[in-house]
Amino acid sequence: MTYTVQSEPGEIFDIELDENLKRANDLIADENRKQLLKHGIRTIDVMGSVGAGKTSLIEQLVKLLKARYRIVAFKGDLTSKIDSERIERLGIQTVQINTGRECHLDANLVKKALGRLDLTKLDLLFIENVGNLICPADFPLGSDKRIVVISVTEGPYMVVKHPFIFADADVAVVNKIDLAGPMAVDTTKLASDVRNINAKTSVVLTNCRTGEGVDEVASALGIKYGS
Amino acid sequence: MHEFSRTSQIVEAVLSEAQKQHAVKVIEVEVEIGDLTFLGIEQVRFAYEILTDKTIAKNSKLTIRQISGRGKCDSCGYNGPLSYLNDKQFHMIVPTFNCPRCGKPLSISAGRECIVRRIRIRK
Repeated sequence: MTYTVQSEPGEIFDIELDENLKRANDLIADENRKQLLKHGIRTIDVMGSVGAGKTSLIEQLVKLLKARYRIVAFKGDLTSKIDSERIERLGIQTVQINTGRECHLDANLVKKALGRLDLTKLDLLFIENVGNLICPADFPLGSDKRIVVISVTEGPYMVVKHPFIFADADVAVVNKIDLAGPMAVDTTKLASDVRNINAKTSVVLTNCRTGEGVDEVASALGIKYGS
Repeated sequence: MHEFSRTSQIVEAVLSEAQKQHAVKVIEVEVEIGDLTFLGIEQVRFAYEILTDKTIAKNSKLTIRQISGRGKCDSCGYNGPLSYLNDKQFHMIVPTFNCPRCGKPLSISAGRECIVRRIRIRK
């Protein structure tokens, strides 16, 4: 809203603007969300630190769910197709999104990737964000659910040092639990750190190399699995 | 994080309003920035100075009001500031998005703003 009053030249004016700078990104994210919803596609944004196991988690989820759903995976990275090829080997469609230098995916890149697909033939979309616990939190993509993946090899303070990424996280995955002993990391403490920051976030402990706990991740996302 | 692009949006909004009002000079700009955004105030000021150079907003005073995070609780009706988990040993101040009264999750009602509230111009 803008209020204006008349005055003489040279006079000073105060103008109320109240201009909320909803970013271009958030507007495109809303568009993406509507488009995905229209086609009944459930979308999961997988965020997490570098090397925590985001791709391994998606591989395991694809193995668990591909018989029941038509799945596509978007794979965000600065460069390389290494990860998208890993997922492609499981027989599903993938789109590699190379950000070049950006530290996060944004809604526009996701919109472009959606433009490459026949959305009428899909049920489930996994979007793997660039490995980073800071920037992706501030760039919604239009997904239904957001997962944050951390792992015990990153040490005991990953959650409390990056609280903001958990503000919108539906599920927090603590991965590599088979290494919790050697790393002397208490997974119950990591889980309670998440709950202390956001009680809405479900915490699931996994070993994505073997698939342990991955069915619980699907349940936490509200995705039915099995026949 | 990403202050430059957000600040360029601020400057764009200011200049476009100033032009609409036929201003010859922008004297002061007041913005509100939420604590839960990733915008560092110092970096916003730095970017503002660079981005307003060679515009009618050069040397204008940038007033930034920081808005604290607030949340609403659907369970017990709490509506107020977020609480923080402090750990003096680690110099950590960790925000929590849980209700300080009942512990249930809050929905965030303030703290994510980036608003141009007011501009002062000369015509």
